[in-house]
Amino acid sequence: MSITVEFFGLARKRAGVASIEIDAHTIGTAFDVLESLLPKWADACLDDGHLKRSFLANVNSRTFVNDRNQPLQDGDHLLILAADVGG
Amino acid sequence: MSDTPHGYHGRYLHVDLSTQRSVVRELPADVLQQHIGGSGLGTWLLQQHTPHEIDPLTPDSPLLFVFSPLIGSPLTTSAKFAVMAKSPLTQRINDSLSSSHFAIAGKKTGHDAIVITGHADSPACLIIEPESVRFESADDVWGLSSQQAANQIRIRLGKQFHIASIGPAGEHLVRYATISNDGRHAGRGGLGAVMGSKNLKAVAVTGDRLTTYAHSDELIAYSKDLSRKSFGPATAKYRELGTVSNLLTFNRLGTLPTRNFQQSEFAEAERLAPETMSVTHDRTRASCAACTIGCEHIFHVSPGDKGVRMEYENLFALGPLCGISHPDTVLCASALCDELGLDTISAGGTIAFAMECAERGLIDAPDLRFGNGDALLQTLHLLAHREGLGDLLAEGSRLASQQIGQGSEDFAPHVKGLELPGYEPRTLQTMALGFAVGTRGADHNRSGAYQVDFSDKVDRLLATPGDVTLAIETENEAALMDSLILCKFLRGVFDDRLAAMAEMLHLVTGWDIDVAELQETATRIVNAKKDYNIRQGWTPDEDTLPKRFLTQAIPNGESAGAALTEETLKRQIEAYNLARGWTPDGYIFDHESAS
Repeated sequence: MSITVEFFGLARKRAGVASIEIDAHTIGTAFDVLESLLPKWADACLDDGHLKRSFLANVNSRTFVNDRNQPLQDGDHLLILAADVGG
Repeated sequence: MSDTPHGYHGRYLHVDLSTQRSVVRELPADVLQQHIGGSGLGTWLLQQHTPHEIDPLTPDSPLLFVFSPLIGSPLTTSAKFAVMAKSPLTQRINDSLSSSHFAIAGKKTGHDAIVITGHADSPACLIIEPESVRFESADDVWGLSSQQAANQIRIRLGKQFHIASIGPAGEHLVRYATISNDGRHAGRGGLGAVMGSKNLKAVAVTGDRLTTYAHSDELIAYSKDLSRKSFGPATAKYRELGTVSNLLTFNRLGTLPTRNFQQSEFAEAERLAPETMSVTHDRTRASCAACTIGCEHIFHVSPGDKGVRMEYENLFALGPLCGISHPDTVLCASALCDELGLDTISAGGTIAFAMECAERGLIDAPDLRFGNGDALLQTLHLLAHREGLGDLLAEGSRLASQQIGQGSEDFAPHVKGLELPGYEPRTLQTMALGFAVGTRGADHNRSGAYQVDFSDKVDRLLATPGDVTLAIETENEAALMDSLILCKFLRGVFDDRLAAMAEMLHLVTGWDIDVAELQETATRIVNAKKDYNIRQGWTPDEDTLPKRFLTQAIPNGESAGAALTEETLKRQIEAYNLARGWTPDGYIFDHESAS
């Protein structure tokens, strides 16, 4: 199923793109796909298949997720953003 | 004093501007251990020196500069100090922190805090050195910006002095005037007006008094490791983009306050984003004193100008909140706030409120419309000098709305008089609780509850009483960080923040303090702030949000329909009060023992 991954802040800078469409049915498979497509992003943002502590994942601007097994639906938007939003 | 703990001088200076006399008073070791420094120690000192229900703009109201045991140590980001007083904006406790060489020089005067009371007969500069306290006329710098005044005073006194000074807004008692130092600001709550009410233009400090450290070698090693970590990925966001990178994130999540909180998205946010402005504008970077993070991003309107430091808060408040999308206007407005000595959040919040009043026909200000950048810039000048409509807006949105009436109180964007920062509370409902119960009003630095909303621990659009303990944890953590005093941008660096704070305190002071004891200290500090407010007239009905947030859902955009009811917020507040060990409506059971 097709989802859109949107990058914000430092995640966007590391990805080099604002968004990308990929096929993925869970958060985990999304990260695996991104790792192969955007290795520089993965180097900066992933650690052993999980987001590093300084990044967050959010689905459809509503739910923050931290579980690789979290299912995704066709048309979902996966947002990757910095964990510390203060300032 | 043989029992003075390492890291401290064990004394504070009390200056009376009316008599031009000063006295040095002892700070008992147990008081220091129980309140640490900064915000905690300052709260204790305010309790000792503030008469009940005093007008903060009268001579007997104390103004405090408070240092910490970590200042002067090699620990990164430790060059910070707290300025404290009863706020003229909120009539409640106020602590504003700032980072600069003023912190280091102030502590080197040989005091852990400086308490200032009284009123100078004419504009004055207070000069403090280890063996002397003296006064000079500030007639020649009265009316100047804080930076201009500081430069002139420094030329006169010598480069060894570091200066905290007010601008025209402080002189005109604008209730959200700042105190500036080395280009940084103690921003929130109007402490510049307290200083102005004392006819005090500037405080100049220098000295050579050093404190000792309990475990010097280990402290140096720890500091090196912390500096190394602080330069790592946990702080890369601050270093590479700055807090302004929140703008697009918040906009996408539908939590960016726009047009006086009438919307939570700004269609033109992209124009103001750092990703765009870094292409369209020159940008340089800088660091606070003794800081290895380097989060300051300075944008330039034209090549070669001195530039203006941009943070998310001044970007949101002078941009989307006022409907302004032109980057140069926001940059100029931010620079103007720095020059005039205005808190950007309260200035933007109050002007946005006035723009809505004008558009609704509640005040006669034809040009004051959302999106009108010229009107924004002109209004900043007017309010800093209390001219025309500016005299009303210099009072802040709460008092202005009380004078305007006609229902405007419902959308004046404040809690306890302090204008809300850039977090839409209907879409961040743990933060909504933090705003409502905050002792200094709506604030994102004394409660970090937004961290909870930006996590998988809660549903940020659906508050539940179970969330309150998470909000309390962030409040306690902030109380400790503001007392040590350390930059909150370090938070991501630590695996266990409380354990790290306990370790730093141990290395500096020698105290064998564990995490549980530190938690007790945090609770003591939070309780002391609440106790102060109760003594200054706090009532439970202050702990709420403006009616707009409790009666209107977000009308459109990503967060369309997000709502927070009065009943839900009250339930949260009661749960919070009980979790704090207070009465359900928020009084401290053992009110006397909190002081």
